[in-house]
Amino acid sequence: MTEIKNAHFTTLKGAYDTEKMDATLRVRRYDPETKKSRFDTFTVTIPVTASVLDALDAIKDIHDGSLSYRKSCRMAVCGSCGMRVDGGAALACKTPMKKFVDAGHTITVSPMGNLPVIKDLVVDMAPFWQKIRAVKPYLDTLDVDVPAKEWRVAPEDGDLIHKESLCILCGCCVSECNSMESDPEFLGPAALAKAYRFIGDSRDKDTRERLRDLNGAHGIWDCTRCYFCNQRCPKHVDPRDAIAKLGAESFKEGFTRDEGAKHAKVFVDSTYKGGYLRETELVPKTIGPINAIKDIPFALQLARAGKIPNPLSPHKAKDNDEVKRLWKLLEKEAKGQPRRATAKHPDAVQGD
Amino acid sequence: MIRHDVIVLGAGLAGMRAAIEAKRAGVDVAVISKLHPTRSHSGAAEGGINAALGNATEDSPESHAFDTVKGSDYLGDQDAIEIFAREAPDDIYELEHMGAIFTRAADGKLAQRPFGAAGAPRTIYSADITGHVLIHVLYEQLVKHDIKVYEEFFATQVVVDGGQCAGVIAWDTQRGGLHAIQANHVILATGGVGRMYYGTTNAFACTGDGMSLAWNAGVALKDMEFLQFHPTTLKSNGVLITEGCRGEGGYLRNKDGDRFMVGDAPNAMELASRDVVSRAEWKEIADGRGVDGCVLLDLTHLGWKKLQSRLPGSRELAMDYAGVDPIQQPIPVRPGAHYMMGGVDCDLWGETRVPGLWAAGEVACISIHGANRLGGNSLMETIVFGRRAGQAAAERVKEQGDTGARIEASVLADEDRRIAGIVGNSEGERPGALREELAKTMYDKAGVYRTEAALAECQDKVLELRERAKTLKIDDHGSIFNTDLTQALELNSLLECADCLVTSALARKESRGAHSRLDFTERDDDTWLKHTLNWNDNGQVRLDYKPVTITKHQPLARSY
Ligand SMILES: Cc1cc2nc3c(=O)[nH]c(=O)nc-3n(C[C@H](O)[C@H](O)[C@H](O)COP(=O)(O)OP(=O)(O)OC[C@H]3O[C@@H](n4cnc5c(N)ncnc54)[C@H](O)[C@@H]3O)c2cc1C
Ligand code: SF4
Ligand code: SF4
Ligand code: FES
Repeated sequence: MTEIKNAHFTTLKGAYDTEKMDATLRVRRYDPETKKSRFDTFTVTIPVTASVLDALDAIKDIHDGSLSYRKSCRMAVCGSCGMRVDGGAALACKTPMKKFVDAGHTITVSPMGNLPVIKDLVVDMAPFWQKIRAVKPYLDTLDVDVPAKEWRVAPEDGDLIHKESLCILCGCCVSECNSMESDPEFLGPAALAKAYRFIGDSRDKDTRERLRDLNGAHGIWDCTRCYFCNQRCPKHVDPRDAIAKLGAESFKEGFTRDEGAKHAKVFVDSTYKGGYLRETELVPKTIGPINAIKDIPFALQLARAGKIPNPLSPHKAKDNDEVKRLWKLLEKEAKGQPRRATAKHPDAVQGD
Repeated sequence: MIRHDVIVLGAGLAGMRAAIEAKRAGVDVAVISKLHPTRSHSGAAEGGINAALGNATEDSPESHAFDTVKGSDYLGDQDAIEIFAREAPDDIYELEHMGAIFTRAADGKLAQRPFGAAGAPRTIYSADITGHVLIHVLYEQLVKHDIKVYEEFFATQVVVDGGQCAGVIAWDTQRGGLHAIQANHVILATGGVGRMYYGTTNAFACTGDGMSLAWNAGVALKDMEFLQFHPTTLKSNGVLITEGCRGEGGYLRNKDGDRFMVGDAPNAMELASRDVVSRAEWKEIADGRGVDGCVLLDLTHLGWKKLQSRLPGSRELAMDYAGVDPIQQPIPVRPGAHYMMGGVDCDLWGETRVPGLWAAGEVACISIHGANRLGGNSLMETIVFGRRAGQAAAERVKEQGDTGARIEASVLADEDRRIAGIVGNSEGERPGALREELAKTMYDKAGVYRTEAALAECQDKVLELRERAKTLKIDDHGSIFNTDLTQALELNSLLECADCLVTSALARKESRGAHSRLDFTERDDDTWLKHTLNWNDNGQVRLDYKPVTITKHQPLARSY
């Protein structure tokens, strides 16, 4: 046989060369068979580029094959590997280990919050999916005829739902949601971001019904605006912002009867009129005069603790004009950015 | 007894598209998937999906078909490719009507970008998250159509009864326990097998389970030696940087800063076909003109605005996993195992030689991609052929009714014993260790360039690993979320597919598409213009061949 040219091409030299480091992790374990939990500590040797997920893999492949966690893409797109790192939800595959190692810090890895634990770092996502299903998570063009080709959507209109379209349904936001902790039935940040993805879609025609549903119990007004979801979302979806947009859309459609909606409206009206938030009006206007009377004993308690402002002192800011000017500016901004866009049927597009 | 008319195995794009079509046709369909549908690896696709819409410049299905045939190095079946190119545009419009969020041109139409080896800007996309957008839109439709999903069920066997498909045996990962899920029709849509290589763009779940299931059910795997390497993957974890980066004008440079593609593809340069670019890179690195085992993907001249609007995901991936911001620095990249052109041998509707067993998506080999796939064609394949398989299986149910094929209790009991045997074993090596050994063997010895000697060593090693994997050390003896068990099962699929790959590669004494032999550097149409078939002969790979379908385009030399 003749000599083979470039036989050295078969194998890439140094293909596996990487700088390594030692990392220590505390991992929360839960055994579903004995129903007992504990913490295990492992030290593993991993590449300096390794993520928390790589560290868990090193544990599983070398030290303890019984450790369970979900993973698949290892590139922050499949949403499998949500878990708490030092108490806050994150994607294990998007959290580098190096910074912890450099700081000499042992991280603690535990399962996400607000969802039942199945085993070790694996949680039951069923309640999560149920909420996604609850917001009618698909495009509805009602009975409008679909075009033969594509809907025409202006690039700017598509941008309106760009952030929400990035959601990978990982659950990190839900894990840390303040409101879900007290009301597990709250639709929650992921489902609400999904809801806005359709309400803001110029092709969807079911906006009003969607908003009506979201204004019901456990809907948008139950959000406490803690912003943990924005902070924890690994894909920059900013679910709280989506909820705010849903609130604004609800007002436009006249859905103002929910307590949360009224609460928000008192804020707006009061600051507009007086430049101040008149807190004494907040409660009766939010929950209605009768319920407010029922809450009087509670109010008195607050008053004794010095937590209620004097209702009789005049509530008007010195320079209310400035507030009004700010208001006008915001109004103009909002008009310049039409939130609702309409997709065009190609038949209606001239000169195609 | 659990029973459905049609079972779709896998919930990536191919699987969900098939299920939706079957459901629309009015039959009882259920999906079985080891991952929640949106976790499937289709979601990782970045660059886009090809159809000749002609939105950007004039284009036609004929031209799409020709590019695909040429790209396949004439190993693609031209009847399948014609169907594919012709039906693609309507499938794209339908995805758009379902709600897919694609990037738009100024006139509101779907934007189309140029991709490697395509005669026109033909790739429809959504920034660089096309797969993500598509996986979510099909999941939305799955919910809309209220299709039953056996979520986190791991299929361990496809059962054939009296020569007919009888259903699937699957392990319920969340709750533990093995189930016989009966169906006269099973559509395999389990995706690829990239995890047999060390450097790979594929997810952990891409372990070729469906290929192994079919192989063990008596169906041949076809053209397994044709495994595409993607030219731009990160060294640290194999993550892919989309071809869209080069489509948008990115350069590939060696350590001296030269655009080395000028040597192998002076016209197409960085946008030459993937096999061509991967080889050029591998050569640069092997000859010492690389940087730390990589070449450099330079996007710095594109500017912040373009990077941020068209390729934001790639920028973030480079920052997260390579520690470089492509606005300021080039990204070190190297070829990584990316796409299995081969797979389950099936006909134009996806049916295999076992009546009632179908395949679609990356698991299948219809064959559209022949020896080399064009970027953007496989997402399109999942949709076109997923839909066709769903439709055909549903039609068959209606025509034929119950075929009488059943999973017998004894078959389930045998499988139960096999699984219990794996879970109960604590002697031997861990699955993870063997998987890594396999992956390095394949990357070193059956990579971009191959020789008889390297492939023979590779084969010996794979056979040795198959032996060693017969008893594995399992630490988890429980039944709930036992990923030690599922990884052991996946290792077995990987080893069987690797055996098919290396056996086919050793036999094919020519260079064609992704199969590049340093000892047989030319394409040899006289002897090798044929598909390889891998049969399971008592666990050993037995080779066979079958002709390629040629309609319009006679093989020509392939240059870019
Ligand atoms: C990083 C990356 C980028 C890509 N970019 C592009 C691109 O831009 N354009 C393009 O055209 N192509 C691209 N591709 C290729 C393309 O994405 C894939 O070929 C395609 O998505 C495969 O889809 P699928 O439906 O066949 O399989 P997958 O999406 O992989 O789905 C497989 C399904 O099978 C299930 N499954 C597997 N085994 C079992 C089992 N044993 N039991 C039960 N269920 C099982 C899984 O849970 C999953 O739901 C890319 C690939 C990668 C890796
Ligand atoms: S801002 Fe609202 S939705 Fe977000 S975490 Fe807080 S309470 Fe939950
Ligand atoms: S909004 Fe963000 S954190 Fe919440 S599920 Fe989606 S991607 Fe995850
Ligand atoms: S593994 Fe997919 S998001 Fe982390």
